[in-house]
Amino acid sequence: MSSPHLTILIVDDTPTNAKQLEAVARKLGHATILAGNGEEAIAKFQSGKPDLVFMDIMMPVMDGITAVQHIRALPSEKWTPIVFFSALDQMQDIVRGLEVGGDDYIVKPASLQILRAKINSYARVLSLQQEVQANATELRNWRLDAEEQSRLGAHVMARLTDAAGLRDPMIRHFNMPAETFSGDLLCAARAPGEVLNVLLADATGHGLAAALSAMPMTQAFYSMTAKGFPLPSIAEELNRKLKAILPSDRFVAATLAAIDVRNQTVEVWNGGNPNAMFINACGEIAMQWASAHPPLGILPDKLFSGMTETVVFHEAGDLVLCSDGLTEAEDPDGAWLGIQGVRNCLASSGDSDQRFANLLGGVEAHLAGYPGRDDISAMLVSVPIDRRLRPRFDAPSHALHGHISEWRLDLSFGAQELRYIDVVPAVLGFVTQVQALKPHQGSLFLIFSELFNNAMDHGLLGLDSATKSWIGGFELYLHQRSERLEGLRRGRIDIAFLLHQEETRAFLDISMTDTGPGFDFERGLNNTAALGIENQMAYGRGIALVKNLCEQVVYSGNGNKVWVRYLVSDQIIEDDGVNGNASARAGPVGETGAVLF
Amino acid sequence: MLIANDVSGDRATLKLGGRFDFHSHRDFRSAYEQHLVKAGVREIIIDFGDVDYLDSSALGMLLLLREKCDAAGRSVVLSGLKGTVKQVLDIANFGKLFDIRA
Repeated sequence: MSSPHLTILIVDDTPTNAKQLEAVARKLGHATILAGNGEEAIAKFQSGKPDLVFMDIMMPVMDGITAVQHIRALPSEKWTPIVFFSALDQMQDIVRGLEVGGDDYIVKPASLQILRAKINSYARVLSLQQEVQANATELRNWRLDAEEQSRLGAHVMARLTDAAGLRDPMIRHFNMPAETFSGDLLCAARAPGEVLNVLLADATGHGLAAALSAMPMTQAFYSMTAKGFPLPSIAEELNRKLKAILPSDRFVAATLAAIDVRNQTVEVWNGGNPNAMFINACGEIAMQWASAHPPLGILPDKLFSGMTETVVFHEAGDLVLCSDGLTEAEDPDGAWLGIQGVRNCLASSGDSDQRFANLLGGVEAHLAGYPGRDDISAMLVSVPIDRRLRPRFDAPSHALHGHISEWRLDLSFGAQELRYIDVVPAVLGFVTQVQALKPHQGSLFLIFSELFNNAMDHGLLGLDSATKSWIGGFELYLHQRSERLEGLRRGRIDIAFLLHQEETRAFLDISMTDTGPGFDFERGLNNTAALGIENQMAYGRGIALVKNLCEQVVYSGNGNKVWVRYLVSDQIIEDDGVNGNASARAGPVGETGAVLF
Repeated sequence: MLIANDVSGDRATLKLGGRFDFHSHRDFRSAYEQHLVKAGVREIIIDFGDVDYLDSSALGMLLLLREKCDAAGRSVVLSGLKGTVKQVLDIANFGKLFDIRA
């Protein structure tokens, strides 16, 4: 092993002694600094930063013992061995030298061989020490880097997960990280038709690596939910995205759920997470959704299935989603909380707050103060029975500034395209770009999806809504629907939008015509019972809702043609008054319409 | 994790034992790598009989093995599933991705 080149400080008031040491050190290839007394030694120690010190004891001005005391009191980042080299050979001299901070003691006179061997020995120790020091520095830098990345990850993840949707009064949730932050991702948002969409995702591993895998999901989830895409399409898109981005050994277990209070349905897609459960008021599991798919990000688009399971609920309750961190939470002896443990926490009767507190308290008690091995997250959605026919959002302000230029859109879809296009979000995403219509997105979604679903389900697919009111009928209905949609070869749906102004009022007329045999619209539309809040039937409420939201609803033909008029504004304020500003005549609304369409 | 490697005919069997988790990465990979190149091996059987625990990174390793076997023209079989191991693989629906044998 080649010894490193050291800088050696030699402190001695006798020049011959100093010269002897210097000669040995130089011969071994080391640099030397000389000092003639203790005071000089301290100054040269500070300026020359030696790696090794040989220190005489008896010297004028300041003795070696005092000098070493001073040197050891200096702030230092590295260890510098100090070897006393003195003629004092009494036991107490040696002990005292080592006690004040010396590392070694050589009694003068010493042979050249001994001095050489000592220097070589310290060179080896110092070289090892340097290596350790370098490793420690590297390790510390790694740690600082990791902390910085963690901090950034935590910040981004917190922003991504802190969506307004999670503060929905229906939602309670917790997310306990295994490390500084969790790789489990919770999302929630309202679709335009008021359906509440939630997502609980658990990426492989935990911490930053897991969070990185989960991040790409948020944007797709929120934007598709805002546009009203159905759950299966969202699942497909999330899978497509993750499959494209993640390496093949990374994936994301996820539960997606859509809670439709109006239609009293809960729709779930579960790929790789523990069972989603619906707990009724008595604390019993009324329904559950086992994982029916591999996690997201594994299967190619062609093999992936976004198929969901929809269940009708007839009683209020709590929908509970969780990651496997919850069921696999370990107590200090390594025993899992287990699915049974989770059930026990949820089994009590009581309100959602109580149940949520029980679950959180139960996990914490089980962990007994130890951090989880994996991220632990759960979401509890309290699902009410609420058959209101009024949407929960406020009606948008009806005042509009500027003239509305007429705007029209005609669309015609054949069977081929109807099989795979999500017509409602696709068309409405386009329509609500018109500025005057933007604030009406919620109402328009409810109206348009109702009209379109009627045309599709009853007109083209020949489904009977009455099926829905049987026990298990809704599931049967959905099953028939997907089967018949798959086999749809003939038929067409024509859709027309017309935005126009009459006096100071603006209207959007929507008409929809399907090629189906029609239906008995007299019954559906005039069914006043359907308008009542006491209506228990799952069908008929749709048309009643449309009637509620629109100025006029007119069925014609044999019921395969419907036309509705929706009030966009009843107080259009023309801005071209006093100043006669010509550019105001066109107005922002008119301009947008003219440019875009 | 313990891995016993056994080849008979065109079948290579890796019998795993203990905890199959993110610490097992290197051991697992070096145990199967030889079978991807060795002539004559057509099927790699992963025997979970003595595995007590399986985490999500282990599932990732299985997916990686599956991909490599596809590329090398070998098939993967999972066997000896029971208890928690079976539960974890069931929840992840790996039955849809792998050939599973008793």
